[in-house]
Formats: sequence, structure tokens, C-alpha cells
Amino acid sequence: MLSRLRYTFRETFDSFRRNATLTVAAIITAAISLLGLGLTFLSQRGFDNLLARWEGGVEMIVYMQPGATQDQLDFIAQNLDQNSQVIDSYEYCDQSCSIAEADRVLAGEPGIRDLLNEGNIPTQFKAVPTDGTDVELLRLTAEAFEAGPGVFDVAFAEEQIQLIGQLQSFFGFRLFLLSGFLLVAATLLIWNTIRTAIFARRREIEVMKLVGATDWFIRIPFMLEGLLHGIIGAALASGGLWLWNEQWTEGVQSFPNNVGFASLVVTDGYDQTVMLFMFGIGALVGAVGAGIAASRFLDV
Amino acid sequence: MIRLENVTKSYSAEVVALKDASFDVAKGEFVFLVGPSGSGKSTLLRMLNRQERPERGAVWVAGRNIVDLPGGRIPMLRRNIGNIFQDYKLLLEKNVFENVAFAQEVIGRPKHVIRQQVPAVLDLVGLAGKEERMPNQLSGGEQQRVSIARAFVNRPLILLADEPTGNLDPGPGEGLMRLLDRINKTGTTVVMATHDQRIVNTMRKRVIQLDRGIIVRDQARGVYE
Repeated sequence: MLSRLRYTFRETFDSFRRNATLTVAAIITAAISLLGLGLTFLSQRGFDNLLARWEGGVEMIVYMQPGATQDQLDFIAQNLDQNSQVIDSYEYCDQSCSIAEADRVLAGEPGIRDLLNEGNIPTQFKAVPTDGTDVELLRLTAEAFEAGPGVFDVAFAEEQIQLIGQLQSFFGFRLFLLSGFLLVAATLLIWNTIRTAIFARRREIEVMKLVGATDWFIRIPFMLEGLLHGIIGAALASGGLWLWNEQWTEGVQSFPNNVGFASLVVTDGYDQTVMLFMFGIGALVGAVGAGIAASRFLDV
Repeated sequence: MIRLENVTKSYSAEVVALKDASFDVAKGEFVFLVGPSGSGKSTLLRMLNRQERPERGAVWVAGRNIVDLPGGRIPMLRRNIGNIFQDYKLLLEKNVFENVAFAQEVIGRPKHVIRQQVPAVLDLVGLAGKEERMPNQLSGGEQQRVSIARAFVNRPLILLADEPTGNLDPGPGEGLMRLLDRINKTGTTVVMATHDQRIVNTMRKRVIQLDRGIIVRDQARGVYE
């Protein structure tokens, strides 16, 4: 068992050395495509943070004063129920829900976020209108609620928010598509690298088959090689993603307050989840590329 | 040890490699396959280690019909068969020791067994002391001895040799035949395809002659003719 493992790793690293230029090209392509994918996920998350308050078609938010009484809350809820011709549905976001939302919305402004706690954060009623296009009716409704008991403020989605939503879906789809194409290119390059490695060792493989080596014994070093291309590519991409995110977060924190970028950062560990995902995709791309090549070209 | 029953193999309508070939080879026998180029000698050897499959007939090796052997069992069959080629098929970037050890390494033999058995087989083929040499530092005869050592190191039941003296001068060729004869005397069955009249006539072993895929002669202690 030990001798087989030793053989497998020796052959894998010998092949790296013999096939250095193609190996480097395959790893760089895998790294760039995975970095593109990772950045797409991060930018989508940034947009999600920016739009967190308005998720699920919410277009009007009634902020209650900290310490609003249960009667005041019930009054607002009753009024929302009674305005069913304007308000289709609504949800109440209590203190802990509002704190969780602030973690995302104020990620780029830690100074402001630190001032908030469950004792002073406004709770919210998030309302989905029956007709989001009737801005005038919604504005009138908002003004009526502003005068309600215990109400701190009323906000509703501006055109700017809708524009950000449109930008998110426009860029999100295209960046995913681009990353997909790059991943296919990485798979093909890994496939081609393994094919070249097999071709370079065809005499050795012929001898191996004739002395009774099993197909899997012959295949595994090649598959491991492809897997390592993907994993090393993912490691490089993860390093790049981490650096990118750190520099962007630092940059956003030094922006003036209220320029609208505060939410466009990822600080809640989501970047690590994306890195793990990149390792998974990198390994998959490497294994698929190498596996297909090893099965297809080992028939000597 | 080997039995062919009405074996037929063709590559196209015009090219018939073997036609209705049948014979038996007992354990420990030494058999020459002779005949002109294209008579089916190499095809027959390739059938015995399942590199080729016949269209019709049965090929029995060590008591098993290998025609329908599942792909996963072929490596096990080949571990019982050593192969020697006219062009040696040595791995040029490995030295003598590594070339022979390779045959054990790829079937998972432990390192201590390799360290013990490779020097012994190199001694048997007359290459003791040349373990570190690279193939291009050896004569043709020595390279073929490395190839024999590699084929024999796993102690196969059968040794298949396809024109092993084809690239050698008469002197090294005779030395090689003495070596194959010694290996045969250890109980290993040897089947050798050759054009070398002098060797066949000197050795006086069983001769199977093929002509356009048909066995035209099967003679004990035969000569080339």
C-alpha cells in the first residue's frame, strides 16, 4: 500500500516537472476563472447587503421609535391591515431582526454600527404594496403613517434602489456566464495537459499494461495531477479573493459617510464560504478534466 | 498451459491474420512460431496476453478461456505472462535496476521484495554490476537482457517473445537463446516468434509454422525449413 502511494505521488510530481509549461498554464487559467467566480459571488453579496432592507418586494418601511409600546405597534399593524387596497402584505422586524440587518447594511461603517444595540435600534414594519408602480399613492400612504403614534420614520424604495437591483441582475448573470466559460476553458486545458502527459508517457503506460498494472493504478497519478491543478488554482484564487476583499473593505471604510457604498462589503465570513466553494469547484474541474482524459486516452 | 481451439482473426476481408488455428502447448514447453512476415505470428502472441481477441474460437491460458475475460481480470492474466519485444521497449529515462523494478512496482510489490528480487534476476541474465547503467549505455544484447529480466522478474508461467533476436548480431543472439533456454528449464513455458533460421535449427525445439494465418506445420524438435 505504502509503495503504491509513494509511486502515485512520485509519478504525479514527475509529470508536473516534465510538463511544466502546460501545468502552469492550466493552474493559472483555473485560478483566474475561480477568482472571477469568487468575485461574482462577493459582488452579488455586496449588492444583496445594499438591498437587504428591500428584499422580497418591500417598498415601504415604517421605522418605530426605540421603546415603542405594544399598543403603538398594534395600532400600526392594524392600520396596515386596513389599507389592504394599497398594502398587499407586511412583516414586522423586531430588535434582533433589525440588529442582524444592521450587521449587513452597516458593514462598511463599523463606527455607526457599534452605536446600535437592541435597546436603541428602531424596529420596522416592512410592507409590500399591491401596486409598486403607483408611487404617488405610496407616498401619500407613507405620509399618513409618518404621523402615527411611536413612528420614527417612513422610508420607501426610491428609483435608485430599483436601479441597483437591475444592475445586480444585469452584472450577476453576465459575470456568472463569463466565469462559467472560463471554468470550461480551465477544464479543457487540464484535459489537454493530462492528454499531453499521457502521450509523453505512452511507452511507459504500454509496459505497465503488459506487466499487469490495473487501469486504476495507471489512471490515479493522472487524475491526481488534474485534481492538484484545480486545487492549486483554487488556493491561488482564494489568496487573490482574500486580498481583494481586504483592500476593498479598507477602501470603503475610508470613504466619506453616506456615499452609499457602506453596505457593498462582505465582512461576515461569507468570503470564507466562497473560498471553500472555490476549492470544491476547483477540485471538481480538475477531477472531471483529468478523469475524462485518463479514461479516453489510456487505451494503449 | 496454452490451448487454441479453431481461432480465427481477420483485420479486414482481405487481411486474415489467423484462420482456424488450433494447438496445445504443455507447461514448460519451448515453442518456436515461424513463418514469413504477415503470417500471423505476432497476432497469435498478442492474443495470448489479450491484446487482441479472436472473432471465433477459444484461447485457453492456464486453464481459463481468456476470450471473454472481463477487462478487470486482464491485469491478473498478464501478471502470469512475461513479454519480450524486438525493440526491447525499455524506459530510456530509467536505469537498468529501475527498468526491471518497474515491473514489480506497478503491481504493488513491496520495496524490500524489489530490493531482493531485482538484483537476483539481473544476476541471472548476466547484468550484475550494471544496475546503474542507462539503456543507452548498453549494447543491443544487454538491452534485450534487461528486457528479459523485466519479463521474468515476476516469475511468470509463460514467456512470450516476439523476434527477440531480430535486432541482434549472431553472437549476442545465441547468448540470448541460451538465457531463454535456462529460463525455460525453470519450468516457464516459452513461445517465441522468430525469423532466425540458425537459432531454430540449433535449438531443435517444437516448431509451429504459419502461412497466411494457417498452421501448416507443427513439428516436435523441428527445424526452420
